Amino acid sequence: MDYKALAEKLVNRGLRRGADEVEVYLQTSRNLSIRVRQEDLETVQESDTGGVGFRVIVDGGMGFSHSNDLSERSLDDTLDRAIAFAKLTTPDEYNALPGEQAHQEVEGLHDPEVAKVSMDKKIDMALQLEALAMQDERIKNSSGASFGERESRMFIANSRGLSKSYQAGSCSIGVGVVAEKGDQRHTGREFCSRRYFADLESLESIAAEAAKKAYEMLDPQMVPTQRAAVIFDPAVARSIIGGIITAINGNRVQQGASFLQDAMDEQFASELLTLVDDGLRPKGLGSKPFDGEGVPTATRTLVEKGVLRGFLYNTYAANRAGVASTGNASRGGFTSLPGISTHNLYVEAGPHKAEDIIANTSRGLLLKGVTGYGINPVNGNYSGGASGFWVENGRIVHPVQGLTIAGSANDILHNIDMMADDIDMNRSFTAPTFRIREMQIGGA
Amino acid sequence: MDKGTLDKVIAKALSQGGDFADVYLENRSSREIVMEESRFKSGLYGISQGGGVRVISGDKTGYAYTDEITEENLMRAAEVASYVARNGNHIQPVHIETGKRESFVTVQRPLQDIADASRIEVMERANQAALDYDSRIRMAIIEYNDQIRSRVIATSEGLYLRDELPLLFFIVQTMSDDGTNRHMSRERISEHSGFELFEKDSPEAVAQRAARESIAMLDAEDAPAGTMDVVMENGFGGVLIHEAVGHPLEADNIARGIGAFTGKMGEKVATDVFTMVDDGTLPNYRGTINFDDEGTQAQRNVLIDKGVLQGYMTDILSSKQLDMARTGNGRRESFRHYPIPRMTNTFIEPGKDTPEDILADTKSGIYVQSLSGGSVNPVTGVFNFTCREAYLIENGRKTTPVKGATLIGSCMGVISNIDAVANDLAFGPGICGKGQMAEVTAGQPTVRIRGINVGGSRA
Repeated sequence: MDYKALAEKLVNRGLRRGADEVEVYLQTSRNLSIRVRQEDLETVQESDTGGVGFRVIVDGGMGFSHSNDLSERSLDDTLDRAIAFAKLTTPDEYNALPGEQAHQEVEGLHDPEVAKVSMDKKIDMALQLEALAMQDERIKNSSGASFGERESRMFIANSRGLSKSYQAGSCSIGVGVVAEKGDQRHTGREFCSRRYFADLESLESIAAEAAKKAYEMLDPQMVPTQRAAVIFDPAVARSIIGGIITAINGNRVQQGASFLQDAMDEQFASELLTLVDDGLRPKGLGSKPFDGEGVPTATRTLVEKGVLRGFLYNTYAANRAGVASTGNASRGGFTSLPGISTHNLYVEAGPHKAEDIIANTSRGLLLKGVTGYGINPVNGNYSGGASGFWVENGRIVHPVQGLTIAGSANDILHNIDMMADDIDMNRSFTAPTFRIREMQIGGA
Repeated sequence: MDKGTLDKVIAKALSQGGDFADVYLENRSSREIVMEESRFKSGLYGISQGGGVRVISGDKTGYAYTDEITEENLMRAAEVASYVARNGNHIQPVHIETGKRESFVTVQRPLQDIADASRIEVMERANQAALDYDSRIRMAIIEYNDQIRSRVIATSEGLYLRDELPLLFFIVQTMSDDGTNRHMSRERISEHSGFELFEKDSPEAVAQRAARESIAMLDAEDAPAGTMDVVMENGFGGVLIHEAVGHPLEADNIARGIGAFTGKMGEKVATDVFTMVDDGTLPNYRGTINFDDEGTQAQRNVLIDKGVLQGYMTDILSSKQLDMARTGNGRRESFRHYPIPRMTNTFIEPGKDTPEDILADTKSGIYVQSLSGGSVNPVTGVFNFTCREAYLIENGRKTTPVKGATLIGSCMGVISNIDAVANDLAFGPGICGKGQMAEVTAGQPTVRIRGINVGGSRA
C-alpha cells in the first residue's frame, strides 16, 4: 500500500469532514522476539502491525483518535471521533501544526540485513550467548537470553502541506544470569542494541559482562548510615540526568512544575556538567531526521558547563513560550499525542579515568544499581535504593546492597566534582562515570 | 469469527505438534480526556483490535498476532506460532464449545450510554474542588479514562468464551506551591463499572483527597536515613506487598527455578499475623477479571496463610511445569502479548489490632500514608518503593511530614518483620508492569514493619 498517498488523502478527508487543521500519523512495524532458556528455545513472537492517529483542530480545540483498522468505514468513523472531541475541548491559541521545513536525512537508521538473517541463526546466537554467560562456575542459573528486532516506517502529513516519512530499525541481544552462593542470589543482565546487525558486540563480551554483574555482588556487607562520596557508574547516570531532562521539558516549565523553571542561563550545576542532545548522529538509536510532528531535529547543547542553555519544546509548548519548536516532539507510536523528549542525550566526557576517580576517593560508594524514580522534577528531591561497591582509601573493598542515597538536586548537581571519559556513544541516553562529592547514605 | 474457523486455526497451530494452542481475539475502544490548568487539553478516542495465536510445546511458547482478524491472517499467525512445536508431542484438539463462567461485574450506567458532556462535567467538578480547597493549590491535572474490552478465547481443550468488560479510571493530580516548597500528589479511583462509580465516590471527594496531601506536604522536612520501624496506613500501601511478595509468588519464575520463593512451599516464611490473598472475584474491583485470558475461572487464592506459604499464582504453562492447579492468573495486556502469571486484587487479610493502637505502640519511626509506586527484582526479592506522603513517628504519635523517601528491603526480610496487622483493610487501584501492563488493586490494613531501611537525606 502507498501509505504516503493514503496519509495525504486522509488529511484532505479530515478537512472535508469539518476539521480546520488535520495531522495524520501512520505507522507500520514488524517485530520479532526470540527467547531461549536452559539451552532450549522458550518463546518466539512475531508480528506485523500498523495503524493511524488523527490529530485535528476545530475552532482552536484539539481532538485525537487512533485505530489499527484501516478499512474505509473505520477511517471515517475514527476521523469523526477526533473532530467530535475537538469540539469538546477548550479552544487554545497555542494549538497548531507545524508547516513544512526541509530536514536532512540521517545515515544508518535502517539495516535491511537484520531481516535477512535466518531465524535459526538468531536462535543459535541467543543459545550461544546463554551458554557463554553460564561458563563461570559461580553462575548457577539463567533467566534467559533473547534476540529482538524491530522495523518500522512512519508517515506524517498535515494540512499545512507537510508530508514526510522515514524508515528505521534496530536489533538487540541480551542475557540474564543468576549467581548463587548458599542462600544468596544475585542477578546480572547485559544487552546490546544497535541499528546494524554487524555492529552488535561480540557474544563473548556481552556474556562476560552479564556474568560479572551477577558474581561480583556475592558476599555483600552492610555499612553504617553516613555521608560519603557517591561515584555514579554510567549504568545509573539516568537517575540524576533523567530528572534534569524532565525538568527542562517545556510543557512542565510553562506549568510551573519544574525545579529548573527559572534557571535559564544560570549556573545550576557543576562546571563539569555539559549536556547535549543530538538527533542526527549516524546510526544513533535515538536519531531521527524529524520529530513526531515532522519538525527537523538538530544537535543542541542543553547545559553548558553547568549553565542551563535550553528547554525542550514541541510545537504546542513552543507556541506557548513564544519560541520555535526545538524538534523534540516525541511520539509513542500512532496511538499517542506528541509528548516531549530527547533523541540521543549525552553528558560530555571529562578529563579523568574512571579508575582514577575510585583511586581518589577515600571513602564512598561506587554506585552500580539504583531503584526509584530519580530526581523529582517538581521539587528536586532525590531518594533511591542503592547497590554497588564500597570504596575505602581509593580501593574497592566489598560489594554493598540494600543501601539508600538521598539529597536535593541543588546539592547533588553543584557537587559533581569529577567527570570521567568512559562514555559509550552507542546508547541513546549516556554519560561517563562521575562523582558526587558527598551524599547521605542510609545503611545499618 | 465463527467457531468452525477458530477450530481450523487451532488445528493449524498444532499441525507441527504441541501440547496446547489457543486463539485470542480482542476489540478495545477507549477514551481519554485530559484537563490541565483548567483547560480541556485533549480528547482521545482509540480503537484497537486484533487476534493472537499461541502454541505451547513442552516449555516452549510460540506466539504471533495480527491487527486484522481474518481467517487468512490468523492461519498465518498459527503457522508462525507453530514453529516452536517442531519435534514436539502431537495432540488432537477438541472442537470448541461455549463454556460457562461466573461474572463478578455489574453495571448500572453503561459507559456506552454516557454523553461526553457528562464526562467533561465530572472533570470540571474535580478541578473546581481541587482549586477551591486552598489558594496554594496552583494546578490540577484531571485525567478521565474509560474503555470497553471485548475478548474471545478459544483453546485446543475445547473451550470457547467471550465477554465484555468496562473499565473506568479517574485520576486527579494536584500541585501545591507556597513560594518555597512544592508538592505534587495523586489520587485515583478505578473499577470495572459504569458511570455509577462517581455516585459511590464523588469527583469532588477524589480531588479533595489529592489537595489535602499537596497542602500537608508543603511543610515537609528532610526525612531521616537509616534503619527504622515503619507503620503503613491502610489502602494502596498494599503495593509494598504486591511488589515485595506478590511478584515473587508468580509461578513463571518459580517454574524456572529462579524465583525467591522456589522450593519453599509449605514452609513458614512470614509471621503468624500475616495472611496474603489474591482474589480476582471481588465485585467490580479494578483487578477483577471473571476469568483470566486463558479462560480459567477467577478465584480466591490464599498465597500465604498465617505465615505459611500455601500457593503460587499460575497460568496454564507454569501450572503444567509445576504440576499445580490453574489459579486463574494467566493475564495479558492485549492481543499483542501472550499470557503470563499476573496478580489481580492482592491484599493482606485484616488482623485484630486497631490502627490507633499500632501507632500508639510504636515509639519512633516513619508513618507512611501514600506511595508513588515501587518495584522488585523477583529473583533476589529485593524491593523498593517511594513514599509520597509520610510523617515522623515520635512517642507513638504522627508528627512532622517528611519528604519523599525510598524504603528498601528484601521480601523475606519484610514479611518476617511485619509484627502488627490492623482491622481496617482498604484497597487502591494500580497499573502493574511486568513487560506488559495489567490493571490491579493492592490492599492492606494498617501494618507495622520492624526495621526497614529508609532513604532520607538527613543524617
